[in-house]
Amino acid sequence: MQDIENEIRNIIAEIVEKDPSQITPEAKFFEDLGMDSMMALEILAAIEKKYKISIPEEKLMQLTSLKDTVAVANQYLK
Amino acid sequence: MIFKDKVAIVTGGARGIGRAIVLMLAGEGANIAFSYLKSVETAEGLKNEIEKLGAKCLALQMDVRDFEKAKELVEKTKEVFGGLDILINNAGITKDKALMMMTKEEWQEVIDTNLNGVFNVTRNAIVTFLKQKKGDIINISSVSGIAGMGRQTNYAASKAGIIGFTKSLAKEAGPYNIRVNAVAPGFIDTDMVAGLREEHKKNLKEIIPLSRFGDAGDVAGAVRFLLSEAANYITGETIVVDGGLFIR
Repeated sequence: MQDIENEIRNIIAEIVEKDPSQITPEAKFFEDLGMDSMMALEILAAIEKKYKISIPEEKLMQLTSLKDTVAVANQYLK
Repeated sequence: MIFKDKVAIVTGGARGIGRAIVLMLAGEGANIAFSYLKSVETAEGLKNEIEKLGAKCLALQMDVRDFEKAKELVEKTKEVFGGLDILINNAGITKDKALMMMTKEEWQEVIDTNLNGVFNVTRNAIVTFLKQKKGDIINISSVSGIAGMGRQTNYAASKAGIIGFTKSLAKEAGPYNIRVNAVAPGFIDTDMVAGLREEHKKNLKEIIPLSRFGDAGDVAGAVRFLLSEAANYITGETIVVDGGLFIR
């Protein structure tokens, strides 16, 4: 569980070009990390690729923080 | 076979310009999903023709005005063919009338089909294109949307809207390797033009520099170019295919 959080933190850090330490579980992607909707999509696509899962695009709106993103990913991880 | 094994969606593919585009793509090796609204028999015939060309084909009866059906078209295409590379937004109708005689319904139906239909299908396909960082979109506009045309305020508005949509999405999706272009046909020999008065047709031919109406294949040729590698650096563009009628 912790591993997945760390892996996803690194994915997000790379896409938003910030240090992983800034991606706290509660940090809001859009307000705190200056993310845009295209970056959210890139995160979704990167997670799908890494874990070979498919996340419906409707879930995109729910990717608002690391915590929420991990929760969404966990729904599709076996 | 420049589109070998590519997967393409063509809306309004059973007749006219859409049909010519479908046949061009199939001839170049693409697998095709096309939508149609009413022409059941024509669609079935086209499906057979495509399969004879050795391409796979999915013919879906649907109204592009329906967002959920548009979603189904995209999902089904991806499911059956395992991906999506090309989207051709072609479905369109006319309800020509002088503005003073035009009903709200005649306005609405044309905008809903021609313009909102482009949104409905493209919105449902765009995330796939963005994720794979690859995709080609061609929207069929009209010279009516560039030059204007009497008795076509509804149609011209929808077709001009398509050009704005094309330019905006080209800017938005360009960084994701998605090209978005439009083709604006003039008078093309299809059922849409067949309805014009004979005298009007004769007059038109006299003022068209190439002295004839275009055929649907002329439009498919421009689409073929825009989808080909030769057009790799072209996006947000509208190619006019009108025999020179509206040379600016």
